[in-house]
Amino acid sequence: MTGSLRRGTTIALALAVLCALAVAAAAGARGTASASQLREGGTLTIGLAEEPDALDPTLARTFVGRMVFLSMCEKLYDLDSHLNIVPQLAAALPTVSKDKLTYTIKLRTGVKFNDGTALNAAAVQESIQRHLTLKGSVRASEISPIKSVTTSGANTVVLHLSAPYSPLVSQLADRAGMVMSPKALAAEGANFAQNPVCVGPFMFKDRVAGDHITLVKSPYYYDKSKVHLASIVYKIMTDPSSRTQALRAGDIQVEDRIQATDVPTLQKDSKVSLIKSVTIGYQGLTLNVGNKNGVLKGYGPTGTAISKSKQIRQAFEDALDRTTINKVVFGGLNQPDCFPIAQSSSWYAATTKGIPCNLHADVAAAKKLIQASGLPTPVTVHLLLGGTDPVNARLGQVIQAMEKQVGINVVISATDFTTSLNDATNGQFDTYAVGWSGRVDPDGNIYGFSATPGTLNYSGYSNSRLDYILNGARKSLTTKARDTLYHAAMQVIADDVPLIYLYHPVDYFGVSKSVTGVQAYGDGLIRAAFAAYSK
Amino acid sequence: MSFVEVSPVVTPRARRRKILRRRFLRRPLAVAGLAVALAFVVAAIFAPWVAPYSSSATDFDHVLSHSSGKHLLGTDELGRDVLSRIVWGARASIEAGVLSTLLAMAFAVPIGLVAGFFRGWADTVIARLTDVLLAFPFLITAVGLSAIFGPSLTNATLALGIAAAPALIRIARGEALALREEDYVRAAVANGAGDLRIIARHVLPNMTSTLIVQATVLIPTAIIGEAVLSFLGLGVQPPTPSWGVMLSDAQSYLTQAPRLAVYPGLAIFLCSLSFNLLGDGLRDILDPRTTR
Amino acid sequence: MGGFLLRKAGAALVVVFLSSVLVFAGVRALPGDPAIALAGENHDPAVLAAVRQEYGLDQPLPVQYVKWIWRALHGNLGLDNRQLPVAHTIVTRIPISLELALLSVLVGMVIGITAGVIAAVRRGKPSDHAATTLALVGLSVPHFWLGLLAIILFAVDLHWLPSGGYVSFGSHPIGNLEHMVMPALVLGTGLSAVLMRQMRSSMLTSLGADYVRTARAKGLSEWSVVGKHAFRNSLITVTTVVGLQLGQLISGVVITEVIFVIPGFGRLTIDSITARDYTLIQGVVLVTATGYVLVNLLVDVVYSLLNPRIRVS
Repeated sequence: MTGSLRRGTTIALALAVLCALAVAAAAGARGTASASQLREGGTLTIGLAEEPDALDPTLARTFVGRMVFLSMCEKLYDLDSHLNIVPQLAAALPTVSKDKLTYTIKLRTGVKFNDGTALNAAAVQESIQRHLTLKGSVRASEISPIKSVTTSGANTVVLHLSAPYSPLVSQLADRAGMVMSPKALAAEGANFAQNPVCVGPFMFKDRVAGDHITLVKSPYYYDKSKVHLASIVYKIMTDPSSRTQALRAGDIQVEDRIQATDVPTLQKDSKVSLIKSVTIGYQGLTLNVGNKNGVLKGYGPTGTAISKSKQIRQAFEDALDRTTINKVVFGGLNQPDCFPIAQSSSWYAATTKGIPCNLHADVAAAKKLIQASGLPTPVTVHLLLGGTDPVNARLGQVIQAMEKQVGINVVISATDFTTSLNDATNGQFDTYAVGWSGRVDPDGNIYGFSATPGTLNYSGYSNSRLDYILNGARKSLTTKARDTLYHAAMQVIADDVPLIYLYHPVDYFGVSKSVTGVQAYGDGLIRAAFAAYSK
Repeated sequence: MSFVEVSPVVTPRARRRKILRRRFLRRPLAVAGLAVALAFVVAAIFAPWVAPYSSSATDFDHVLSHSSGKHLLGTDELGRDVLSRIVWGARASIEAGVLSTLLAMAFAVPIGLVAGFFRGWADTVIARLTDVLLAFPFLITAVGLSAIFGPSLTNATLALGIAAAPALIRIARGEALALREEDYVRAAVANGAGDLRIIARHVLPNMTSTLIVQATVLIPTAIIGEAVLSFLGLGVQPPTPSWGVMLSDAQSYLTQAPRLAVYPGLAIFLCSLSFNLLGDGLRDILDPRTTR
Repeated sequence: MGGFLLRKAGAALVVVFLSSVLVFAGVRALPGDPAIALAGENHDPAVLAAVRQEYGLDQPLPVQYVKWIWRALHGNLGLDNRQLPVAHTIVTRIPISLELALLSVLVGMVIGITAGVIAAVRRGKPSDHAATTLALVGLSVPHFWLGLLAIILFAVDLHWLPSGGYVSFGSHPIGNLEHMVMPALVLGTGLSAVLMRQMRSSMLTSLGADYVRTARAKGLSEWSVVGKHAFRNSLITVTTVVGLQLGQLISGVVITEVIFVIPGFGRLTIDSITARDYTLIQGVVLVTATGYVLVNLLVDVVYSLLNPRIRVS
């Protein structure tokens, strides 16, 4: 024991290995061996960080569930490694009518569901209609502008919209674009989640709640020659330390989201390679500007310093040292940034150009701003944390220490995530540390949080100019026009500070070196359907 | 009955106290327990003067540092002095341990007394309800209640106190049941004394030794209970230090800095051991029925 | 005897019923809207309303309670947030906790009884003091800390044992035991402290009892006096104590499963509370309470069989 007491690896060391890590990560992700070196068959076990919810594309809500769907439920569209939208079950990107209200989608032919029935336009029509109308559908709001779905021949689907909606295709590249077997839907009905059947390289075999989900290779998949594994087991392992332990022991071959403190250890393990994935999500602070009675229940000043004074909000942001937060709380593994769009996104450069982003604290500026606000010091600001785990506690305490230097007294209130969402919805907070898993389209990372009717607008922020910009961006379809509009939106947010963006989470996945072809893109999902053991 | 008083100053009660004190002092383990327990209480009360640093003073340039002359037990993941956090952490533990015990007593003793002394329908209802509450294990009840109340030290103390009450009600009820059958209580009833007077003069005083012993058993249970709740994120709010929170934080650093998991656990252990030693000693001297 | 049993069973039934009400009410008292927990990242009011409707959260509480308890009586505890049957989840998790509990009780009894007997026979000698002091240490040590220390030593430093997790006995017997050694020892030693104290005092009482004195007077060997008479008699008391320690055991299982990441019933309890999974919490806690009451009933009955005088009171 005394030996281990002396053996301390500091975070500084973690930082030092980072460069080496990035190189190794790139190699891990793209080190696909040639086909002759691959072994056919075998079971790949993936240790998931959370438990997926219902495996029903219409009802599914969790992020981690999307990883399982990736192997068994293909979508009309998919993302490539640069997060561009590419056709999957569709034969090509949709043809859009001039008024932007009609989308015509041609389907890939010769595709079979995992029960042997054929995929056709009628099946797609049925699935989209189910997304729109099934009781409890989570998809309905994602594709609500779809007014009706018609077919034109056996292999063409036509979507009719009530209003132009540029994020539509990106929604069809997620669960709303998944097609379920009509035969299985007829047989299972609302219990589809207990035996889901879609098009995919793997098909559902069994699930034991809280423990695992097993998928086996599909005999019906249209691109079967690319599939090498005989089965994939998703094991639910919510404890990060034991996930790492299991990967090192060889019990699992792929580890979902490695905790920061384990990254240096795994880096030294010769049997494991790491995949680094800068996610498209963000973590930050939501500031209660005008959420007095609850989200969507009117906007008005709450009477707190944060709500009253833009200077205080700006000072709060200036006091934060994003680099130190990343170093102390996350072992330096995340990507500090000031914007809701990730650096890996093709939208980043044009929409953030020229907007100042200081990754270090500016204590002097913050103090000046507080003085300018005219409010008596110390200013007290409550900070709501959505979790009572050590990482959240660390984040809260680091923020508290930083704000103290500029004369802001932060009072932390940590609670479980659900309760915190409740408090946030009801406006019972000053600042709320919360993140967003991220969407490919910028709209999905901005609109809901800052626009006046936004369902996630915990800030209670209502700015008619910003609303005008964001609604305009929803309607315009050219990238250039949207670039300009989102750039303007970012400027408004950066100046008025209804939200403070702190960093983009960087996910590290561990993969046993006996396996090749496991990938992770910026959406943070593990893609393992085409992986294989090497000979 | 003799009327010759050798030393008129010494009342029977004072004499009993003297005997008890002598008996107590003859038990070195119990004395050690008392001393350590008192040390923890003193540390808790005078934490600002005892602790070398503030419990929340961070130093992001010196995180996870080893013990040195500056930081006797090193620093934690945010560069805070571990020794200071342990000293301040005694506050949460002692507060939760002692206050929840007092709360449980204040709640359970009157209820148990009423049930056991008056019997009748009130007794039936109370006994049945106690059975229902006892169908949930202590820790499960405490966790559930803390989840309902929301995480904070006050709520954790409340939850621990309420969770401990049912067992205590049962004990108090049993004692009252037994005591009401004692000759001196019957005599008092026959002499026409009022119920309140009987309870205050005869029943309650004769329960105190049992209650004191129970309290010393309950305090360490509650101290560990607070640590468990804090460990599960249902205790104190950051940055308030608590031994349970320190252990929970240390879990992420088991490979890099296992010492962070050693010290707070040691503190919980010593604190609860001291109360247990004290309790054992008190049981021995107050309750002659136990063989030792 | 029949009347006594009936009375006891009736009381147990009332307790189970009342605890079901308590569980139901307690779950509704938890802060946080379960619809928000269910809806994931999408907080569109329409989605929330749809979720509430789907899970019956929009109905009046008494209706929700009656529906739940009616189904529960038929063995159906409803579907959890993942749309999976709660009863099935519980049934798959209980054996894991049961294994941990049984192994721990085994460890506890072996250590506790041996130490208790030695301490009683050698009363006042150094071995008695050592055992008594150790028992006190065992009572005072927070077991989740002991678990952490064991992980640091045996998993992190020495790499002898896995730091946590679970492998089923059926799929990998040796792996199963490897995963169970630390948790069972940690939990078992805690239990042994209580048992040791009980065993010691009960042995001391027995050793002082008339029939033991008679046996000694008859010139029976010390071994036969201690082994046959005192020990056997004390064992009955200790068995009852194990039953009475059930609450402590359940609490211990919960925290041990959290520390060692064992996907058992205890961890399910904590997870369900964190996830605000109403149907799951209700099912889990109802099963705990029912099990607890049943075991207590069993202890009562066994005890009354062993000691007929109890029945009168």
